[in-house]
This record gives sequence, structure tokens and C-alpha cells, in this order.
Amino acid sequence: MPTVVLMDASLSMTRPVSLEGSEEFQRKNLAVHGLTMLFEHMAMNYRLEFTALVAFSSLWELMVPFTRDYNALQEALSNLEDFDKTCLELALQGVSTIMQQEWGSACPCQLVLVTDGALGIGRGSLRHSLATLKQRGEDKKFPLPFPFPCKLYIMCISNAEELQTTDAMDNLEQLLILSGGEGQIFTMEGPLCLKSVQAMFGKLIEQAYMPFHAVLRCGHLTSDVQVFPRPEPVMIDEEVDPVPKHVLTEADEVGAGTTDEMEEDTSTNQMAGKSPNFCVLLHGSLKVEGMVALVQLGPDWYGMLYSQADSKKKSNLMMSLFEPGPEPLPWLGKVSQLGPISDAPENPYGEDDSKSPFPVQPKSKRSYAQNVTVWIKASGLQTDVQKILRNARKLPEKTQTFYKELNRLRKAALAFGFWELLKGVAELLERECTLLPDSAHPDAAFQLSHAAQQLKLASTGDSQYAAFEHNITPMLTDFSGGGGGSDRL
Amino acid sequence: MRMFSVSHKTVFVVDHCPYMTESSRQQIECDMLTKSRAQGVIPLAPVSKSLWTCAVECSMEYCRILYDIYPTRKLVNYIVSDSEFHILNSWRQEDQSVQELMTALAAVGPPNPREDPECCSILHGLVAAVESLCKITEYQHEARTALVDLADRVANRGRIICLTNAKSDTHVRMLEDCVLETIQEQNKLAAGSDRLMPIQQCELVLVHIYPQGDDTLVSDRPKKEISSVLSSEVHSVRAGRHLASKLNVLVQQHFDLASTTITNIPMKEEQHANTSANYDVELLHHRDAHMEFIKSGFSGVSFTTRCQKDKGDLHMAGSTSRDSGLKETVTLKWCTPRTNSVELHYCTGAYRISPVEVNSRPSSCLTNFLLNGIFTFTPSEIIVISHMLSCHGGEIFLHMLNSTRSTLEDPPSISEGCGGRVTDYRITDFGEFMRENRLTPFADMSLDAAGRPPIERAKAQLERHTRYWPMIISQTTIFNMQAVVPLANLIVKDTMTEDDVLTCQKTVYNLVDMERKNDPLPISTVGSRGKGPKRDEQYRIMWNELETLVKTHVGTSERHQQVLECIIACRSKPPEEEERKKRGRKREDKEDKTEKNGKELEEKMWTQDSDRLKGAMEREKEDQSESEVIKDSPDSPEPFNKKPRLATEEIQPLEKSKGPVSLFSLWTNRITQANSRKHQEFAGRINSVNNKAELYQHLKDENGLDVHENGKATR
Repeated sequence: MPTVVLMDASLSMTRPVSLEGSEEFQRKNLAVHGLTMLFEHMAMNYRLEFTALVAFSSLWELMVPFTRDYNALQEALSNLEDFDKTCLELALQGVSTIMQQEWGSACPCQLVLVTDGALGIGRGSLRHSLATLKQRGEDKKFPLPFPFPCKLYIMCISNAEELQTTDAMDNLEQLLILSGGEGQIFTMEGPLCLKSVQAMFGKLIEQAYMPFHAVLRCGHLTSDVQVFPRPEPVMIDEEVDPVPKHVLTEADEVGAGTTDEMEEDTSTNQMAGKSPNFCVLLHGSLKVEGMVALVQLGPDWYGMLYSQADSKKKSNLMMSLFEPGPEPLPWLGKVSQLGPISDAPENPYGEDDSKSPFPVQPKSKRSYAQNVTVWIKASGLQTDVQKILRNARKLPEKTQTFYKELNRLRKAALAFGFWELLKGVAELLERECTLLPDSAHPDAAFQLSHAAQQLKLASTGDSQYAAFEHNITPMLTDFSGGGGGSDRL
Repeated sequence: MRMFSVSHKTVFVVDHCPYMTESSRQQIECDMLTKSRAQGVIPLAPVSKSLWTCAVECSMEYCRILYDIYPTRKLVNYIVSDSEFHILNSWRQEDQSVQELMTALAAVGPPNPREDPECCSILHGLVAAVESLCKITEYQHEARTALVDLADRVANRGRIICLTNAKSDTHVRMLEDCVLETIQEQNKLAAGSDRLMPIQQCELVLVHIYPQGDDTLVSDRPKKEISSVLSSEVHSVRAGRHLASKLNVLVQQHFDLASTTITNIPMKEEQHANTSANYDVELLHHRDAHMEFIKSGFSGVSFTTRCQKDKGDLHMAGSTSRDSGLKETVTLKWCTPRTNSVELHYCTGAYRISPVEVNSRPSSCLTNFLLNGIFTFTPSEIIVISHMLSCHGGEIFLHMLNSTRSTLEDPPSISEGCGGRVTDYRITDFGEFMRENRLTPFADMSLDAAGRPPIERAKAQLERHTRYWPMIISQTTIFNMQAVVPLANLIVKDTMTEDDVLTCQKTVYNLVDMERKNDPLPISTVGSRGKGPKRDEQYRIMWNELETLVKTHVGTSERHQQVLECIIACRSKPPEEEERKKRGRKREDKEDKTEKNGKELEEKMWTQDSDRLKGAMEREKEDQSESEVIKDSPDSPEPFNKKPRLATEEIQPLEKSKGPVSLFSLWTNRITQANSRKHQEFAGRINSVNNKAELYQHLKDENGLDVHENGKATR
């Protein structure tokens, strides 16, 4: 989940912090100190996170585009200049653009807003933005909520009491609600000093940037792993099951099957490079065999592990989480019903791996996989009638197809209560009979009049002839043996 | 997100009264005469569908789309109403298919025009629909059973779609009132029943159908709340294609669907095989597949050039007709399939599709292509860059692909992490292990004797198979030996047959044979200089490892135990006994102690043992001349335990004293010996009696007061 650090670079950030008997600090210094701490933490424990730095005052500037280079972020931070007044709305607009340009609108992000709580005055101030929220046209909408999911963390370089003397706190709370409610406002406790800013950023780290450690287990083979990005809790049905589901930290590898979006990062501990690790073994074998491993993340929650290589020949173990539920991929069937092949009477993969029990076929075919009859458009009906007539003219060679199409039309007409059509097609067949050329096979005439008669009978609704499951069968004639086309259906 | 929303239950109530036999007056020419035969033939009069036929086929189309996209959990109950109501299916999942409904509809047939119109009414059907909504579905039942105390979280909502020919707005209001009253009555009844649930929310969708050319007697009305439980909307639609497009719009609204039109699909013409024409196909699917477009559309952000071409244009194409409504579709341009499936890695969702015109030629061409992978190009995927169509097990899914930058880019290589620098992983063996532990679907509710579902059996198998599974080649001897394979494969089984035991025993005898013939073993020489351990040491390592493997399974059954017994009985006797005979009695006690400790640690320490052993062997080269003399044979007599016992020592269990000396003790033993040569032995130990040395002897000497107990005092 990428992070955007939105740093207030307005003049008010240069306000000195009064401290007795020590060096004089500006609020900006405190903010930089806190962010340095955050960046150092990320460089150590969360180094795959992409972070961008945006500074804002009345304008905004992308200081560092999304990067994993924390030195670059650090450097930009220390060279930060001071500008004029605070104008948050424009900056948020900027964040929205930057995020979407880079990651699209489906990627969730974390926004860390660092400000002193002086949110500007007059036009462009947050107060003004919020007051005019409802008087805007489509083109000038307030940037929150963002089109992408976002957690908003507001780091105030000031304490709660100070913020409450003005309406700053109320405005920030309103901002948080507008963004969708995910996130938190942090304020400093006690005097403004290095210690309290550390405490505040410490809380942010604990809340949002703790690495996700888990144990990957395959029977007795285990490995400690770090998962990046962190799997976030999921809410399945707020009504039936209103508690968000968390990934259990004890991941159970269930088994392998031959058949996106989590990365398993096992590279945090360099010291252990030389002792064998199950993850490396698993990755190697998955890669060689071209298999994926099913992994259980919690009750009725599964994912898969596989080797993913980027273009540069580097590969790593990836974990994709499925949607929580007993049947995340329809073509695997219910996961709880997957068992070891040794329990099956014969190896479903075949002795030479030539077969596979997957994909599991659905119990019923989808409409496009069966020959359904739809006459919503006139052309659908016309095509079906033409098909019958085309085959009628090629009797007796096409006897089978002729009756197959005839029966399909008959069934649909009966279901739709379209008896008029049955009569119409019967008449058409009778006319075809009269138009038969002299050279026609004598069987053709018999079959046509037989079919026409059967359709007419069906069109009366008489239960004997109009039963849905009943099929019109070719008439048995003396010529049946010769043509070979009039076998029983 | 909610399972039991209004869409969980849909009741169709279709009017089967005599007036529905009236013609829709939309004429269909089905006698399309070809030019060559046209002379002198009077074409057949066009046919026209009745209001009933229109209502039935459009409702079937609604169900077809619904079942294509939601094969389960979204249920339809179909009711027709004339002088009484006829319920054509139930809420049960197996009753949910278009085939099922078609069969039932054929049995009902078209309305009887001669029936007394006074007796017939749509009301019978509407009352039955409300009653039906109160009936619990299997999904609701399952959820309620699972939640037990919180069963009231399971809601009961539903929708009634009524296709009728109403007489006036007043008539419509009368129908609404009737539904509301029935809901109130039924809710009272349901409150006291286990199999019924009160309705919390009901959406009534009244569709008034009238023939073409007539003026409508009923006016359209958007959704309005009639009471807290009932909302109602009225659609007044001409029969025929207007009704069809109305129901198409409704199914999209009711089930959160959206439309995608794939344009420019090249298809070969039957008549002109070497040319291809381009066609468009419209598909319906869940609207989440358009997430990216919807969001970017609203935010007005322009995309970078990289994904500009990937992005479909959101455009509005609608007919001006009031009835057909506005049609919204996202147009995506077809592109040639690629075999490379790397694109799938960034797939963020897969959604079932249903073609809007299922039996039109372009649609069926596309779906058949996807289902069978036929046509001229072989890959079965069609990539539309931002989306991909692909078939899994007879179902076609629209996959949403991430077309922007991925946060997963440039991941670190696994070789940079823990264990990344180890080079001798048993990759092939683990591949084989994975093949043996592959999964396969079993029939529902196939529990084994212990009541475990298949997935638990798979986990149990993994547990058994990994009890002893060294990860690297240099950690194991037996798994590098072809001769051990039969035993290693059988011992992990949950139940062994008599034959299996025999096979295992044969394997053991075979190993004994190998040892007698002094065959070389594939002992890893990694990390050791020179030739590595000597042949008899190799066999000792091998036997110990084999024993470790079998011991982890010994509790499984009597037969597993038999295999262990066979190994213990057959394996070569440890050379310690012989060594002891050669060496002085002095060291024996120490040896014994280390042996005892070693035994306890044996199982856990095994892997470390073998590693260290290799190093130790190196240092022990000086001992070679000594040990080379020793030759083990399974026929050698049982070792004779002559060590004097210390008072503190516990009596060892029989099989322990009988069993072989562990590698650990062997190794410590040797180290002790080697070390003992490098330093001067403690004076106390040299002078000890039975390993007990008297402390502070000098005090007695210095004081010279007390007489030493053994009378050695000099003074």
C-alpha cells in the first residue's frame, strides 16, 4: 500500500517551540524529526513500501515521486524550504492526481498529513473548503473521498489543547470523516519537544507500519515469514458476520494443486542466509514443477503460494489471497472438499500426469454453453425456422438434423405458449412437400407431412402430443434402410 | 456485499388470465423465401406473439442472465396466476435453472381464452408470492443454523416482479394495497413459525404490458415507499422488444450488473474463408469489473499515455424510445490473444459473464471460441488489455487486470533472504513430495472414519510425510539412496499392510547386504576435506538416520513398530564394544555417561550430529589405523555389558542398553579421547577412585592434625 507524506511547508510551521534552557526548535524541525524516524523505520522493516513526499503551502509540489529509496526522501526533507500560507484542498487534489497517475484508482493508499494545525485563513483554508462543501459543481468537487481507498493519518505538530482553542480539531475530524473514516488524528502529548514527537510517530508506526510476521507451516516443515504488503482485515457481510476477518499469523500450507496480490518477503534477516529455510525449498520446487500451493489463512479463508519471476530473472515466493469464503474459485470446488490423491481410488492426475481433476465442471451449464433458444429478436426465430427449412430440402440425407432442429423449435414454442408458431411451421412444411421436385426421394414427402402433422397436433395443446419431454421421431418408412439418414434419434 | 439483500429472492408473478392471449401485434415474418423459389408461391402470413408469450420469453431471458452470472445464492420462484395460482418451482437450488422453468411453463401452456375472466386475477399470484417470500431458503436456513443465537441477523427480503396487464392506475394501487395487506398478515403468521420468516423488506416491480399500437392505461411511476416494508414501482411497457429491453435494464439494476461491448472481433465468414469481418459482442457482468472506469470517469483524471489505449470509452448509446431506456455500455477493443499468461498475475478480479444476445452469431462464435479454444489461433484467452476473457471449467469469466503500476514491482529475489545462500536444497525430492500430496476434489460430505473432511485428511497426510524430512542433500544419507525408497514411501502411510511390512523388511535386508559387500554410500562430503567418513562410519550414519525416520512413525501402528524392530535387529553393531575391549577399562565409565546423555538427545540432535560428525571425522584421521581394524557383522554376538554401575546411575531400560551407541556419544567419545591427548589430565581425575576424587586433601596434609582415614598421613 503506497504512502504519500503530505508535509505542511507553510510559514506557520516555522513558529518556534518555546523550551526552557535548550536549543530553539521550530515546529518544522519537530516534524522533520518525526518523519525521519518514520523513514528510518520503513527503511529497516518496511522497505518494499513505495513512499512519495509532497510539500504544500498555497501551492503543492511533488518533492520525491514514489520510491523505495529512503535516503532520497530524507534528503528532500532536510532541504525543505518555507513557503506561504496553508491551502489543504489544493494539496489533497494534488495527492489524488499523483496517486491515480501512478497506481490507478483501485490501489489502496496511506496518506500521512503532517501539519501544525494552522489550517489557513480565508479562501483556500480548510474551514472555507468545508463550509462551501455543498455549493460546488461537479467540476469543483472537494477531493475527498478519494476515488481510491485511503487511510488518512493526520500528524499534528501541536497538542490537542492548542487545536481545541480554535476550530482546527473539528475541521480535521470532519476531514477524516469525509475521507471515509479510515485513519486517525494524532496529536502531541505534553510540551512540544523531540521526545513527544517521537512518541507520536511511534504510535503511527505501531498503527500503520508494523511488519506482518507469520509462520508458514507444512506439516512439520515451518518457516518464519514476513508478508508484504500487510494483509488487511476483510469484512465479508456486515449484516450476517459484522466482524472483520483477519489473516491468522499461522499460515497452514494445505497441499499443492496444478493449476494475486501479496508478496511474501523472506529477506529481512540476512544473518540466517546460510541455514536452510523451508520457504526457499518450497519456492524452488514450485518453480521447477510449475505448481501452486494452497495456503489456509484462517477459517474458510485461503490463498495460494507460487513462484513469481519478474523480467530480471529474480523470483520470489508470492502469496495471493482469495476472497474469504468456502469456495473462492468456482473451478476448484469447495476447498474443504479437496483431499489427498492417495484417498482417491485412482490417481486423478493419471500415472503420467496427463490428466487433471481440475477445472471442476459446474453442475449446470451456462446458457452460452448449451444450445438455448431465444426469440426476443425476430432474427433469432427466423434463423431457427430457416434452419428447419434448409434441412427439409435435403431430406432424407438430413433427417436427423431436421428432426433435431424441429424438436428444439417445438420445445421452445411449447414453453413460450407460442402455438401459433407451431401451426405456421406446419403449414410451411406442408407447402415444402408440395414444392418437392420430381427427382426428390419419396421418403422426403413422407417425413415432411409426418412432421407437419405432429406439429399441428402439438399446437392443439393436447397433453398427448404437447408434452414438453416428448420428441417427434422420424417416420419409419420402407425406405428407411436405404438412406441411412433416418436412423432413430 | 450483503448475502440476504432484496436480490436473494425474486418472485416472478406472470398473468395467465384470458386477456393475455391477446396478440402483441408485433409481426414476425418467418417465411423468408429465397429468390429462386419465389415464383408462384404465396408467402405464409406472418406470426405474432401473444402478450403471454412476450411475458414468458422476456422473464426467461431475465432468469437466463441471472443464472449465468449467479449460478447460486440468487433464487427465483416462478408463479403464474389465473383462476388460481400455480407455483412452477421452489427456492431449492436444484430447481433453479431455465430448463426447469421451461418444462414447467410448457405444462402450463398459454392462457385459455375461454376461461371466465371474472374468476381470473393476478391477485392469486401476488398473494402466493408474498407467502413464498416468507418461506425460508436453504441458504437462510444454513446461515441461521450457523449463527444459532444470532440467527436474527439473517434477514428476509425479496422482490416481486409482476408481469400483468393492468386496467388502470387505480387497479395498480389496488394490487399494491393487496400486497401490503398480505405481507402484514403473513408476517404475523411467520413470527410463530420455524420454517417461515417475516418479510423485512419487499420491492414490488409492476410491469404493465400492452399491445403495440394501443394507448397505455397505466402510467409509469418511479420507486416509492408504500410502507416501511414495501416499496413499489410501475413500468408501463409495450409488448415485444420494448418489454425485452426493459427487463434487460431491470436485471442489470437488480443484480448490480454492467455491460461491456467488445468491438472489432475479427471473425471468418463461412462463405469467404480467407476474409474476416469485424463484429461486436455485448456482455453483461458484475459492475465491479468496471470499477476502474467508473472511478476515473467521476474524478476526471486523465490517464497517462501508457494506459490511455487500454482504457475503454464510457459512452452512452441509447435509443430515443421511451420504453427501451438508456443503455450504458463500456466499449473495449478486442486485441489478439497472447499465449503469455503473465498478465494474469496482476488480475484483480474475475467476473462471470452472460452474452446479451446469446444465440446471435457473433456471440456464439466468441463464446464457443472461449469454451473450446478452437478457431485458427490456439490460445484460449482473449486479452482486452484492461480486461481478459477466459474460460474455467465451462464458465467464462471477465478478468480485470491491473493496467497501472503495481506495488509488487521489483520484488527482492528469494536468494537474498533467509536460507537463500544454501545451494543443496532437495528441490527435486520436494517436487516429488508435492506431487504425492496433490489435492483432488471429493464429493460433498465425504468424511472418513474419523469424521474428517478431505482437507483435514490432506493436512494429516502432510504432517505424517514431514515428520522426518531433511531439507538439504548434505543433511541426509537415506534419501539419497535408491535402496531406501521403498521403505521411505511405505513408512509414512497411515495404515500398512502385511505386504508393506515385508517390503520394508526386504529393504532392510538389502541394506544389510550392501553393508556386508561394503558398497559405497552417497554420504555428502560437503564441508569436509579429504575422503570423508570411512565406510563403516557411513553405514552407522545411514542406520541411525533410518532409525530416526522409522521412530517418528512407530506410534502409528503395530506394523510400523515391526519395521523398527527389524532395523534394530539387523543393523550392524556399534564398534564401541570392540573398541572398548582394546582400550583400558578406565575410560569406559565416562563413555557410558556420555552415551546415556547422548541417547536422550539423539532424536533432536540428529541433524547437528551428522554435520558435526563430518568435521570431527576430519580431525580423527589419526585414529584411522585403529578403527580400520574393526569390522562389523550383523552376526557378531550381542554386546556384553560389563561396566560397573555407579550408585547414582539409574538402571537403564533394557532396549536402551541393548541398542546401538548413538552418533552423538560416539562423537563426544572421540573428541574426549583426542582432547585428552592434548592436555595434561587433572590431578584429581588421575588419582580418582571410581571416578570420585577426594577434595581438599592438602588441607589434611597441611594441618597434619587428623589422621587420614587410610592411614597415609606422614606425620
